Amino acid sequence: MTRREMLTMCRNGFGGVALMGLMGSSAFGNIIKQVAPSGPHPLAPRPSDLIPKARSIIFLYMDGGVSQVDSFDPKPRLAREHGQSPYDKFTVDATQFNSIGTILKSPWDFQRYGESGIEVSDLFPHVGECVDDLAIIRSMVADFPEHTNANYFLHTGIGIQGRPSMGAWINYGLGTENQDLPGYVVLDGGLIPPGGLDNFNSGFLPASYQGSIFRAGDTPLANIEPKEPTSELQRRKLNLMSRTDNHLLGRIGNSDQVESAITNYELAYRMQASVPELTDLSGETEATKKLYGLDSSEPDTRIYAAQCLLARRLVERGVRFIELTCPNVRADRWDQHANLKEGHERNALAVDQPIAGLIRDLKARGMFEDTLVIWAGEFGRTPFAQGTNGRDHNPSAFSIWLAGAGIKGGTVYGATDEYGYRAIENVTTIHDLHATMLYLLGLEHEHLTYRFSGRDIRLTDVGGNVIRGILA
Amino acid sequence: MNGQVVYRLAFCIVAVVAILLQGCTRSDLAHDLPDKVDFNYHVRPILSNTCYVCHGPDVSTREAELRLDTYDGATARREGGQAIVPGNAKRSLLIQRVSAHDPEERMPPPKINKILTEYEIALLSKWIDQGAEYKTHWALIPPENPPDEATIDAFLQADIERSGIQPAAMASRASLIRRASYVLTGLPPSPKDVEAFEKDESPDAYERVLDTLLASPAFGERWARHWMDLVRYAEARGHEFDFTIHGAWQYRDYLIRAFNEDVLYDQFILEHLAGDVLKEPRRNPKEGFNESVIGTAYFALGEGKHSPVDTRIDEAERIDNIIDVTTKTFQGLTVACARCHDHKFDPIPTTDFYSLYGIVESARFTPVPILSEGYLNGLRSLIDFNKTLRLDIANRWQSSLGEVPAVPASMTKYPPTVRDTTASWELLGDFREGSFDTWFTDGVAFEGGTSHGPPVIEDARLVQLSEGVASSRHISKGIPGALRSPTFTIAHDTITVMAKGYKSALRLVVDNFQLIRAPIHGELDQVLSSDELRPYRFPLDLWQGHKAYIELLVGTYDRKQFLTDQHMLVVNDSSYFEIAYAVAHNEAAPALPPRELEQAPLPQSVSAWAAQKASPAQVAAINQALESGALERPLLNDVVSQRQEIKQAMPAAEFFIGMTEGDVVTSAVFGRGNYKTPVGDPVPHRFLTALDPTGSTFNKTPSGRLEFAEAIIDPANPLTARVMANRLWHHVFGRGIVKTVDNFGGQGSLPTHPELLDYLALRFVELDWSMKSMLREILLSEAFQRSTQVPENAAELDPSNLLLSHYPVRRLEAEAIRDGILAVSGALDTTMYGPPIPIHLTEFMTGRGQPAVNGPLDGDGRRSIYIAIRRNFLSPMMLAFDMPIPFSTFGARNSSNVPAQSLTLLNDAFVAEQAVHWADTLVGQPHLDIADRVRHIYLQALSRLPDPNELEEAQAFIDAEAEALGLQSIEIMHAAELWAAYCHVVFNQKEFIYLI
Repeated sequence: MTRREMLTMCRNGFGGVALMGLMGSSAFGNIIKQVAPSGPHPLAPRPSDLIPKARSIIFLYMDGGVSQVDSFDPKPRLAREHGQSPYDKFTVDATQFNSIGTILKSPWDFQRYGESGIEVSDLFPHVGECVDDLAIIRSMVADFPEHTNANYFLHTGIGIQGRPSMGAWINYGLGTENQDLPGYVVLDGGLIPPGGLDNFNSGFLPASYQGSIFRAGDTPLANIEPKEPTSELQRRKLNLMSRTDNHLLGRIGNSDQVESAITNYELAYRMQASVPELTDLSGETEATKKLYGLDSSEPDTRIYAAQCLLARRLVERGVRFIELTCPNVRADRWDQHANLKEGHERNALAVDQPIAGLIRDLKARGMFEDTLVIWAGEFGRTPFAQGTNGRDHNPSAFSIWLAGAGIKGGTVYGATDEYGYRAIENVTTIHDLHATMLYLLGLEHEHLTYRFSGRDIRLTDVGGNVIRGILA
Repeated sequence: MNGQVVYRLAFCIVAVVAILLQGCTRSDLAHDLPDKVDFNYHVRPILSNTCYVCHGPDVSTREAELRLDTYDGATARREGGQAIVPGNAKRSLLIQRVSAHDPEERMPPPKINKILTEYEIALLSKWIDQGAEYKTHWALIPPENPPDEATIDAFLQADIERSGIQPAAMASRASLIRRASYVLTGLPPSPKDVEAFEKDESPDAYERVLDTLLASPAFGERWARHWMDLVRYAEARGHEFDFTIHGAWQYRDYLIRAFNEDVLYDQFILEHLAGDVLKEPRRNPKEGFNESVIGTAYFALGEGKHSPVDTRIDEAERIDNIIDVTTKTFQGLTVACARCHDHKFDPIPTTDFYSLYGIVESARFTPVPILSEGYLNGLRSLIDFNKTLRLDIANRWQSSLGEVPAVPASMTKYPPTVRDTTASWELLGDFREGSFDTWFTDGVAFEGGTSHGPPVIEDARLVQLSEGVASSRHISKGIPGALRSPTFTIAHDTITVMAKGYKSALRLVVDNFQLIRAPIHGELDQVLSSDELRPYRFPLDLWQGHKAYIELLVGTYDRKQFLTDQHMLVVNDSSYFEIAYAVAHNEAAPALPPRELEQAPLPQSVSAWAAQKASPAQVAAINQALESGALERPLLNDVVSQRQEIKQAMPAAEFFIGMTEGDVVTSAVFGRGNYKTPVGDPVPHRFLTALDPTGSTFNKTPSGRLEFAEAIIDPANPLTARVMANRLWHHVFGRGIVKTVDNFGGQGSLPTHPELLDYLALRFVELDWSMKSMLREILLSEAFQRSTQVPENAAELDPSNLLLSHYPVRRLEAEAIRDGILAVSGALDTTMYGPPIPIHLTEFMTGRGQPAVNGPLDGDGRRSIYIAIRRNFLSPMMLAFDMPIPFSTFGARNSSNVPAQSLTLLNDAFVAEQAVHWADTLVGQPHLDIADRVRHIYLQALSRLPDPNELEEAQAFIDAEAEALGLQSIEIMHAAELWAAYCHVVFNQKEFIYLI
């Protein structure tokens, strides 16, 4: 049995091993120690690769595709050649709408920030202030020019439905430190990305690893709220269940499955308490709330601020992977096929301050060193217009940034051509991003495999190189 | 199996587990090695897992030009020695390298991340010392005949005895009927059935229970759902807007009927792969429609993208998925692994993949009408009516022909049907002479051969005969049909189609891409809306070099922006199309050259027309005579209304997306799976080379699907019966004899009981591929009837219960849990079939493609199989209990155990609602007292009576709850709220969701 298979068994409750872990609420590593056979384990990683830098990941998903030339990849040439035909400049690929307009200059100015002096557009004044903490990758490429495929690709490493999401892979690989909360949480800000909830699913991995969707509101997590009029009644019910279930065990002899199912009720019961405690922000100071923008006059900013603050609270509680989806700013996500200026501004307004607040708060609490923050969309946008004032999808170049655990702040990595149309230097793939995330968590991406369809499948498929240039 | 060497694999596994548990030394190892090491059962798993990635069948990643998957490769003389020296492990480099201490020397290298255990090395060494005999992969060797006295239990018993485990006693009657009922129907038995079975002392009581269950309509609902896991069944396409797959549910109903009628598995396979080309399709016994063709809907159940920027990649993804699902489902092979490179573990070269690719690429998706006997009768009436009408008109003309003046010597109306291919234009199809040229007709609109010459009626008067077009309305308007061109490569700027019609589609299908709509593909789908012939143009600048065909469809695809129900074919009562010609050209459309027609004498023309055999010249002659007044234009009072009357009595045709034939398309291998880098010649359509080494080409139908199906159902195929028998076994015992039910290849699991599997496979064929008969035999086995009580030493000797010394405890599937809740609460509506019940949308289910209608919380009490399965809006409850995401074949579901399941049963509104519903029915029933009612509840939910302890605890709970509610004891039996609380507990008892 490989370590991976053992993990699967543990997490899915086929063995008494899992029960030991759950009942002792031990960190997951201890479980492994108890059962790992002595001698060189087949999946024992080499030490140099396995010092984890990050404990948790916060993935700030920018749904729809932020324009790189309007955010983190300034291209003065666009202003000079504004209005000219792109066909005279470079080979133009087919796009989603194939309504190719002229070269479109950025509607925003860029400012230099921090000691690094990295340029950030006026869309992100708050994040700009944090630029010395960011490693910006300007040379990202994706394999797909369509949202859904690009979303699946970003989330699962494969551009079609049904593969395990990165959060699922990470929980499969590392387990979770907090047994009272799910290990993979999606904070739904209002927009579920194209491709639907399958972006967050466990694919062929057991359901144990799928993302749990949290929403703002009274019931943050599905079925977390007891329906009983009094908590005594639910306790009486659980009491009776536990008695009858124990009779059952007595009748059939040992059954690991049934035992695990019983244990899950204890867990579920605890989650009923821990989730409301988690989402109750009343204990946060006014200063903290203000830092994130919870007092903003913009409702969208307040929504995202709460999500960012919740993300920090989830990290504090040991949740491995947290993804934030965008609030609905009524401009069709970041997907500005038209009205680039208005749409990008609304989206940026919602997320800019909360993200900067999150970074500052994590730093102030000493959590920045072991929390990896990632800001990324599924692809970039064209440097030429769609119609007159929009930009179409562009998988050949986009910018993302990473910050926190193991990341060298104030870094710019990779470059695009003079138009920001194609990545040309240190071209970086989604698989590279995934490999780097796993690396920072102490996992080697080539070793994190699951047997499906006769193959040992990886999050990074057959690719992936750790992006050394952004590591501290 | 080989007579001399019997591979008791289950026993071996148990032995190995025991070794691992105890820890071991070298001398132990030697002792525990099998006497005769077998390549298939001992050696290949090691080589496949550790060596084949670099030294296997795939030449593209082969290291050091060494292959270990063949005898010749492994024993080849090489510099430094032989990898394997048969008879001498010590001299074999393989053994030296895998046991080397120096990490630089040791194989496999660190990047493979696997190290051979001492036991594995010892096995390899012994095998080499014994001669290193290679064998064909076990699953490709035909099953061997079992001894005459073989039974399922005899095979199992042999291994159990050897292990020293005392098998469990027989299960109680109550437990048995519950188990059989869930396994066969997915529903719990009724208390009445449980009690009757417990009282029935006749020797065949159990057999009769099985027969009743097998005959229950619920059987089909249960087993159809199992099958749906294999074919990634969904009713919407996912991607961005989750468009509806038109009529997918018709396929679901087809499955339910097929399982209930016990359609034989070989027929079932034929229908899936080639149901549209069967000479004698199976007809629905009640309604007379063609059942067989519905099987082909499975091709269309995959994901679908409405706006691919690259349609060829999109096509490749779709075909890859179809090959993946088809080969896993029917053959237990992962052929899709050979898309980019030769299969790394199995003898499946990329050419096999691209042979199948061509087969799928040749077939065309089409909306298929389901035409009941009522519809077909109406159609016949229409044809008869038209025939009578023609004779009647012809008679009138004949009698007046005496006074006809001579017709001119020639006419110049029709062009030649030559393929005049020049640089600037190419004729793609020409129908002006009344033939269908080389195009493919499809559907009942074209029955009767030519569509030339039907009367054109205006104001109740015949004004002329329709000529110079292929027509979908020669029977009547609104009759389903399609006309499609052969496949061609786009090489011109524009295609012009001279056509007319009403609410019908004219489409250019590029790379088999079907989900045509804006933004970039909208213009590929045009709607005909003109009663005069006019040119319809397709600009082709985006599609140069692409493969395409032209398609005319009676009806249109609804393409309303962003509506999930778009891409459903809508046929209006007046829909029709007619086409004169189609031409591809650069610059302006060419003027087609006319040609002279021979003179056709009028009397013969009229007789030929009456017999529906008129040549183009004859139709022209009649039309000319009508024009000149030589023939009268007869008044046809009531014809239109009489035809309308017949049509109105016909039931509506319902559609689903299925398959039809086109022409032969073959594909070259795509280098690294990329269509832009084809390698070598196109691969002909043929079967998998490992199963048909002759490589003979399919040529019965253009796509070859029929022969592909025939090769699968050939009794000599070693996989088909094994794979299906194993699937049935899996669903009965929760685990297949081959655990990896979808993968019988080198990376799949080995059978725990190979001889039993062979026996079942042969028996399955002997039973004429009857799935019900096969299941009956499996459920009659003692193994199935054993208790779940773990025998004393089994936990230690066989912790995974591979030997089946007792019946394995298993959690019910998501659907069985939900259906069980409904059955017990009394809310189950057993209505069968029909359009899906909309999915209930929780507040967490948002996003693009969200269904317009939010379905009822309880799904109207219908069984789960009838609840809508929309890819982007899957039921959270079903997912929590491991319903697979429909993207590939899932013969074996996960059985996870997560808090979300507890939270669902504990707090979900559906479960709570059902508890209330159940309680409401209970309080109306005249139970004597609390104990009496609890006994009834136990019988309903758990198919057994509570023991005194349980009864006491239930009583205590109810007392406490009564006190909390401030109820007097006399009120208890009528207090619905109290009983709802108790019923809710019962739903949450583990015994309710586990088969004990």
